[in-house]
Amino acid sequence: MAQLRTASGFWDELIDGTGDPRPAAAALVEQLKELGLSELQQRQDLAELDIVGMGITFTVYSDGRGIDRSWPFDIVPRIIAAAEWRRVELGLVQRLRALNCFIDDLYHDQQIVADGVFPDHLLEHSVNYRPQCVGVSPRHGVWAHVCGSDLVRDADGTMYVLEDNLRVPSGVSYMLENRAISKRAFADLFARQSILPVDAYTDELKRMLTSIAPEGVTDPTVVVLTPGVYNSAYFEHSFLAQRMGAALVEGADLVVDDDDVVYMRTIDGRERVDVIYRRVDDLFLDPEAFRPDSALGVPGLMRAWRAGTVAIANAPGAGVADDKVVYAWVPDFIRYYLGEEPLLPNVPTYRCLYPDERRQVIDHIGDMVLKPANESGGYGLIIGNRATKEELERAVADIEADPRNWVAQPILSLSTAPTLCDGQLEPRHVDLRPFILSGASHYVTAGGLTRVALRRGSLIVNSSQGGGSKDTWIVEA
Amino acid sequence: MLLSRVADHLYWGARYMERADDTARVVRTFTEVLLDLPTGVASSWEPLLAVAGSRLAFEAGHARANESDIVRFLVADQANLGSVVSSVALARENLRTTREILPREAWQAVNDLYLFTARDAESGVDRRTRSRFLTRVISDHQRVDGVLSGGMRRDEAYEMWRLGQSIERADMTTRVLGVRAAALLSAPEETDDYDEVQWMGVLRSLSALQMYQRATRGPIDGGGVVSFLLFDEYFPRSVAGCVRRIREALRRLPSTSRTEPSVEQLADALARLRTDASDGASLDAAMDELQVCLGELDLTVHATFVSGAE
Repeated sequence: MAQLRTASGFWDELIDGTGDPRPAAAALVEQLKELGLSELQQRQDLAELDIVGMGITFTVYSDGRGIDRSWPFDIVPRIIAAAEWRRVELGLVQRLRALNCFIDDLYHDQQIVADGVFPDHLLEHSVNYRPQCVGVSPRHGVWAHVCGSDLVRDADGTMYVLEDNLRVPSGVSYMLENRAISKRAFADLFARQSILPVDAYTDELKRMLTSIAPEGVTDPTVVVLTPGVYNSAYFEHSFLAQRMGAALVEGADLVVDDDDVVYMRTIDGRERVDVIYRRVDDLFLDPEAFRPDSALGVPGLMRAWRAGTVAIANAPGAGVADDKVVYAWVPDFIRYYLGEEPLLPNVPTYRCLYPDERRQVIDHIGDMVLKPANESGGYGLIIGNRATKEELERAVADIEADPRNWVAQPILSLSTAPTLCDGQLEPRHVDLRPFILSGASHYVTAGGLTRVALRRGSLIVNSSQGGGSKDTWIVEA
Repeated sequence: MLLSRVADHLYWGARYMERADDTARVVRTFTEVLLDLPTGVASSWEPLLAVAGSRLAFEAGHARANESDIVRFLVADQANLGSVVSSVALARENLRTTREILPREAWQAVNDLYLFTARDAESGVDRRTRSRFLTRVISDHQRVDGVLSGGMRRDEAYEMWRLGQSIERADMTTRVLGVRAAALLSAPEETDDYDEVQWMGVLRSLSALQMYQRATRGPIDGGGVVSFLLFDEYFPRSVAGCVRRIREALRRLPSTSRTEPSVEQLADALARLRTDASDGASLDAAMDELQVCLGELDLTVHATFVSGAE
């Protein structure tokens, strides 16, 4: 292993443009060279055995049956210099402060709409706006208590926020497990250099959940609400409950009585619940308020929440800010609510609603990703450099006909990191999902979950579609 | 605080783990004893099915009853819900939802065992590897037990585990006594030569041989073995030892007044046996009665802690 390969035209997280390790990655790269590929592969194999033995799994569906798969892990960590990370942290906290102001405003006076900063028609189209939440005031004005924001790095090294997951973001348990495994694999490096620990997360989560308990409750009973063992993130729900010493409950374990208080069914009768960290989507929370056919939910839960007898994290309705169109306005939220300039950039997003931005999109359509506002799950997405001439012409016509329905972003060149593939170290595309906690105060994970697209050239980092993960080291260089 | 649903999973997780272990012990011992006996002496594998309570289920799917068919059915058959591999899989399925309750190493041990049994089930059938396979099942269950006894608070979750384990264990002891011991007591005279070997087998299948010898210091005879396995309170696999642990667990769990009558009914039935466990038929009937009591206890546990804890 003379030199680590990089892919031209992309930023590599460990190696700079001249082929030398970046300062924060120097010790790791040296170690990789000392080890050689076969020893590295052995450590990878051991790590995979640990993962099976520790039962670190995620669930995929096949033939209508949930199957546990071992968590895919690449042994080569992704490294970020601590100085850079501190700036990212500040940017993420700023972003969450603004997002929470926005959500709180939407469910109260909608001042931002009245002031013409956010167009009201977007609200009407929003699938995640919940009229059932109007007028509720969660403690500290916080609705999005746990956020997983996806960060990507472009070819010039700029770190962008790609999206904010404000509903039930997952992945944090894997961040913690990845660290446990990589500490075994690279024990000597952890001993020799300063790599920020990640373990505080579950304590911080518990502290945040305690801080949002109903007024007057000093030692709240906190539970984690899971859709059940067949949910793809069940491992994580169980993991977090275990680390927090909280009960892991399913909808059927909870009951709301006529007093609008939430209780759980225990072997000794009913016991009051004060804070629910829910990992169930809004629409399945409460069949009285949302989908009447939902078997996952707790009838009356929204009643209890509105009455203030129980706190729910994330608050119902918080997902209104988790939307690819709303995303485009986040920099404006930061300026409007906080009077600050964004510290962490959005991927430049053109809103076709505005004539000058629309012009930009149409003039550079071959370099754009076009996203229709009212479609979800990537449906209707058009990637400029992969679409045919006819498709692009049709897209232009669609945009001209209904400009409000479209946003567009330049096509990014996702950064890479060396990854062990078939016994070789190959550059593979990565993103990063840090987690931000908001309650009485804020907390950002030291790094986050790095996801890696294991197939050459692929940009798909999702674990159910051939994506893997890496430990993320924030290193004092 | 223990959720009713979780209590149910702990209880059944413990029962299935114990069942896998017990079945493994019985099959392992049976294999060893049969190898010791000369051909022609009571070398039928069918009593194994009776001990496991699976005779009807087996006969429904099999025309003949040879060694490998029976052992495969009891150890490796996924379609038989009472087999070792099924019991381990069911234990894991239950304990999967209690991972935030049990010490982490306990789950890992269960998961390890599940992966092993799912992969290597066939090695539990082959005579050359059978003992190694079954020993692994037993020792992994011991590992789980060790993690719990050494690392778990004596809270409600622990007591639910102990309750499930003790009820299952009592059930197996009564079945071994009801089938194997009763058969030996009723056996014709000519097999007497191998009586001691057979009774040693009964003790071994409950891992009781060494403890019996220490406790009695006498020869191995039928009356002594039956009495030890029923009444020796200090031996954890005796029925009396199990009753004691069941009673302790229920006293530390809520609603003792609701559960107490069922355990006292079981204790009374056991106490009445002191005088009439002398011949095979009455022993068999007495064990049936204890099993009925255990079944009622199981229903009471469910009604008290799971379905009716409002």
